[in-house]
Amino acid sequence: MSSRDKILAAVKANQPDARALPPQHQGPDTSGDLTPRFITVLEAIGGAAFLVSGFDRIATILHEQYPGARRIVTNCPELSTFAETASPETKNHYDDDPHTLENTDLAILPAHFGVAENGACFITESQMIERVLPFITQNLVLVIHRKDIVATMHQAYDRIALIPTYGFSTFIAGPSKTADIEQSLVLGAHGPRSLTVFLLDEQLSDAGFY
Amino acid sequence: MSSSNHKDHATLAAAFNKDEPRVDWHDQTLWWVRQKRDKAAAQVADWEALRDSASKIKDNVLSNLSEYLTKFEEEASRNGVIVHWAADAKEHNDIVLSILRNHKVDKMVKSKSMLTEECHLNEFLAAHNVEVVDTDLGERVVQLAEEPPSHIVLPCIHWKKEEIGELFHKHLGTPAGNADPQFLTYAARLHLREKFLTRRVALTGVNFAVAETGEFVVCTNEGNADMGAHLADVHIACMGIEKLIPKRDHLGVFLRLLTRSATGQPITTYSSHFRKPRPGQEMHIVLVDNGRSTHLGRKDFRNSLKCIRCAACFNTCPVYRRSGGHSYHTAVAGPIGSILSPNLDMKKYSDLPFASTLCGSCSNVCPVKIDIHEQLYKWRQVIVQEGNSPAAKTATMKAMTWVLSNPGVYHTAGKTGRWFMLNVPFTVNNRLNPWYHQRDLPAPPKQSFGEWYKKNKQ
Repeated sequence: MSSRDKILAAVKANQPDARALPPQHQGPDTSGDLTPRFITVLEAIGGAAFLVSGFDRIATILHEQYPGARRIVTNCPELSTFAETASPETKNHYDDDPHTLENTDLAILPAHFGVAENGACFITESQMIERVLPFITQNLVLVIHRKDIVATMHQAYDRIALIPTYGFSTFIAGPSKTADIEQSLVLGAHGPRSLTVFLLDEQLSDAGFY
Repeated sequence: MSSSNHKDHATLAAAFNKDEPRVDWHDQTLWWVRQKRDKAAAQVADWEALRDSASKIKDNVLSNLSEYLTKFEEEASRNGVIVHWAADAKEHNDIVLSILRNHKVDKMVKSKSMLTEECHLNEFLAAHNVEVVDTDLGERVVQLAEEPPSHIVLPCIHWKKEEIGELFHKHLGTPAGNADPQFLTYAARLHLREKFLTRRVALTGVNFAVAETGEFVVCTNEGNADMGAHLADVHIACMGIEKLIPKRDHLGVFLRLLTRSATGQPITTYSSHFRKPRPGQEMHIVLVDNGRSTHLGRKDFRNSLKCIRCAACFNTCPVYRRSGGHSYHTAVAGPIGSILSPNLDMKKYSDLPFASTLCGSCSNVCPVKIDIHEQLYKWRQVIVQEGNSPAAKTATMKAMTWVLSNPGVYHTAGKTGRWFMLNVPFTVNNRLNPWYHQRDLPAPPKQSFGEWYKKNKQ
């Protein structure tokens, strides 16, 4: 008998009588604008957030925030004048060797939505250019629409069910971090040392900014 | 104490307790983590309902585990993942080695996996000339120090930053005397980035595996699992068979609980869902039993298989905080390790269920509501019945039973004890009596309540 069959037989023989699944857990009732909550939590976990009217504002802010960035990679076509893009025209395909992204200073990627209760953004493989990019880049920027913020992880998985299937996806909540040395929090363990989320809102006026 | 040749919890804890300021520091650091957990839990209005849901989902998992395993295998295979089954630690290690050999690779990176600690994979691979680099910062620290992790979430919680500075000076060439956590973390980042970029095989653990979709989720704060897996040609994910959950939306429940319980964060930085290998990559999943199917058959103890490895029970445990993870001499220490380990080897781990005050704090913080302290108590009974309790404890208990079941003997013993303690205390309070090693007794009364009552009953 193979190990597989042995294990399955032993599990079947020893598992207790059937216990039904509980009804789907409904999170707390949350209505109203989730933006302030999302921003507060994201800042508390070491991230930054900007409410912006469009990609022009994003480009302006990034120029100011990352003046020293040499290699900037994006999957937002609106930023193609500002950063290298992965498109058939530019022939920047990294499939053969994700290692070539190692010297990325800044990556700007769209994400599907944010989660107010924990400041995370959900991003799937097709938005990443390469799976390793959101991790290997020194600084990461994610772009979501302001209306795409859900309250809790329960609503997050309801949303994920509507997204086309993925080979890889991840929730990203703040910059890479560790507290392994005497519980001292250090941002930038192996992944990005900073994480910024731009919340797009076309209704927003740029008046008063700069 | 016990007849086996390793040192037991009490002996190892006594060694840890020699340095009292260090014990206080260890205790306070973990208590601080416990307080962070409390704050995070208090911010979730439906926390108790969430724990209840998690516990019930896991009840369902245990009762349908064979079906969920079959379903998971089917879905994962459909996704292009190669599924392996390992009956025990040896088979698990052999499978990993054979994958490495097939690719002619003798170096790999590994992110945190307590299962591979349980299986002693690193030692096994080292003996077969494979170099393993642990990439979680805390795990890298203990690996360089040639020690096992002392905590499942905070592997080097017992290390002081000055000691880590010295260790990195020796192994990574950082300047002597630099103990700045920011600086040391940056040094480790550079050191490990080179490993990520040059290793062709990456091994990760698994936090949750979804039967419905065949995907698995790996949670890290550092991003080390992702750095390893997405750069490697081959990704091997190793998991105990109890990590299954039925549906993807159940992740909502578990991801809300896991990190809040572990460190007080609302979620880990990364919660990565691996479903298919990336183009050109090979992805393996090793499903490991290693005693779990037997454990599933133990009615009183099977609930411990619900564990999601958050370590909240470690951080709250008054014994763990003051005895250190290594005193448990097992991969998973703390209260949960004390009820899981006897299943693996009842004789070797017969001391662990006694390493508790049975205060119940572990059960109160457990996000999946495992009755940890009740199982500790039940294990004690099983261990004594099977003749695995320490000889001295057995003799004392037998003597106590005789005294307590004979009123005449009881009264005489009480009187004698009081006389000795009042008149010749040094015969009781001396180094030969282990009870006095960390304790003082209050002054004994002149008479017992029984004697007082007899005199005063008119």
